[in-house]
Amino acid sequence: MDSAVVSDILIGGVLRGGMYVLMAMGLSLVFGVMKIPNFAHGEFYMIGAYLCYFSVAVWGLPAPVAIIVAALGAFMIGAIIERITFYPLRKRSQGNWILNSFLVTAGLSFVLQNLAQGWLGVTFRGVPQLWGGTLAIGGMHISMDRVMAFGIAMSTVTVFWLFLKKTKTGSAIRAVSEHETGAKLMGINLNTIHTLTFALSCMLAAIAGAALLSIIPASPFMGLQPLYKSWFVVILVGLGNIEAVIIGGFMVGIIEMVASYNFGAGFQDVISLSIIILVLLFKPSGLFGKKLKV
Amino acid sequence: MIIKPNSSTGFIDALTKKLNIIGLSPLSLSLFILLGLSPGLIQDEYVMHMLVVCLLFGTLAMGFDLSAGFIGVANWGYGALMGLGAYTSALLVVKLGFTPWISIFAGALMAALLGLIIGLLTLRMEGMFAAILAWFVGLVLMALCAALVPLTRGALGLNVPLFFDTGWAKQYAYVMFFICLATFIVLRLITKSNLGLAFNALGQDVEAARTSGVNPMKYKVINFTISCFIAGLCGGFYAHFIGILTPDIMSTKKTVEILVIAYIGGRGSIWGPLLAAFMIIPAFEYLNFLMEYKFVIYGVLLIAVMIFYPSGISGLWNSLISLITNKLSRKEKV
Repeated sequence: MDSAVVSDILIGGVLRGGMYVLMAMGLSLVFGVMKIPNFAHGEFYMIGAYLCYFSVAVWGLPAPVAIIVAALGAFMIGAIIERITFYPLRKRSQGNWILNSFLVTAGLSFVLQNLAQGWLGVTFRGVPQLWGGTLAIGGMHISMDRVMAFGIAMSTVTVFWLFLKKTKTGSAIRAVSEHETGAKLMGINLNTIHTLTFALSCMLAAIAGAALLSIIPASPFMGLQPLYKSWFVVILVGLGNIEAVIIGGFMVGIIEMVASYNFGAGFQDVISLSIIILVLLFKPSGLFGKKLKV
Repeated sequence: MIIKPNSSTGFIDALTKKLNIIGLSPLSLSLFILLGLSPGLIQDEYVMHMLVVCLLFGTLAMGFDLSAGFIGVANWGYGALMGLGAYTSALLVVKLGFTPWISIFAGALMAALLGLIIGLLTLRMEGMFAAILAWFVGLVLMALCAALVPLTRGALGLNVPLFFDTGWAKQYAYVMFFICLATFIVLRLITKSNLGLAFNALGQDVEAARTSGVNPMKYKVINFTISCFIAGLCGGFYAHFIGILTPDIMSTKKTVEILVIAYIGGRGSIWGPLLAAFMIIPAFEYLNFLMEYKFVIYGVLLIAVMIFYPSGISGLWNSLISLITNKLSRKEKV
């Protein structure tokens, strides 16, 4: 491989990885704090894409506002969903929480996908461009939309990271993920933290969906791909390990680019699966399992 | 107060004991007899077709319940394993000229083998890992089926020879009834045996089971493999019943449909999912005009059952029985 190809793969992988980081972070957060294996995460990505589409193409808002609309909209929808499903489930739960909550998310995903299909139809709704223009890095021209999507992903991750580390609410979320009873004894309101965590996770997914709208148009079943990619990242680095997701996301992005360069795009899923199997065989707790826990 | 045993209760007791050996109760036996006779009674082809589909999904849901209800693994790739069984069986018939009667077992073994591998890889850990790996494997299988056009004809659909020369559902109903009955008896026997005891113990508390000398890995893998075998077998039947296969059969949607039936039926009962299939499938067939919103109702049902009544129909029945026996015993005391 000459250097042009290497830089091609690296840039492509990093751009792709940035979105995986954003998606997987929400997934990991919800598992770390609430112990919910969320299978409806992709549907919030879809909600984000749709909200962004309607903001830009129907209501004529500028792109930055559209992304904020998508983020806030998904935050609210996430909070409402948490209140009407996981909150009563938690109140009534008698053990088997992980399995039951998993099935609730499966139901949610089914409901949201089919609602979208019934309501909006199967048409792909995209916009030709959100920002426009191209950017030249080294002899490569990258569309501005990709660069901006990456920039949005990275700044969101950074802001979110600062929120978790520096603010009181962020510390409360981390405390709950460490030890629920302990956090409760310190006077943290678990219900609020759970709702907030779920809503934030939905918001992260929606930002990813919204930022990529011009590259991947909105459609009812668009959530599957990002869902499965983010699960891949989360299992690769270890469940509930929020910090390591940042490394994992980029790793997966680059692995996929290498795989599709060497074996063709059809085989990148087969390669991903083989890697997951190797990880499960030799280090089931994930590459960074337990070491870097937030 | 001593109740004198009269001849009729004595007979019923004896019968119950005999039936228990093969995993049936008088109630389930009579329902099965009714079910076995029904293909002879039903005149309408549409109803007959529905009967076959109910039996098929009931059997699938029973198999699903074996791992979901006993060891707490909601096999998220169940639909894909069913599809693997279907494609294996179909390809053996189409490419190698096997008879469907043998190839469906080959398909089932194939699904069981894949289940065994997935189980060996993941069942050391939390049940969720098995669910997720099965899902990944299923997605890859589905992509492969769609991509290997020369072999599977991809989305165009693979034409599969049927079991019989005719497409009329009556004969298929007998075949599926037999598969369903056999599955029911085998699963009831397994869950009542020591094996079932081990499964139950593992489902409740893995650590406690391990301390009592139950090897979690061994029993979980056995359980998962049997469940996948049933999925493959039903898949094979599906292939030679419907006559055309598309990769769509492996989609997560199929899994969710089966899962909803299994959970509404009640986990860990085996009979609950079978009963639920006969309630849910006709009801949803009736709701077909709702299109996508039908699946919304599916999802809402699943969420509602999980939150408000996780033990499903079988749980409802059990609490009803215990309520009645409590009332009766109280009366006797008075």
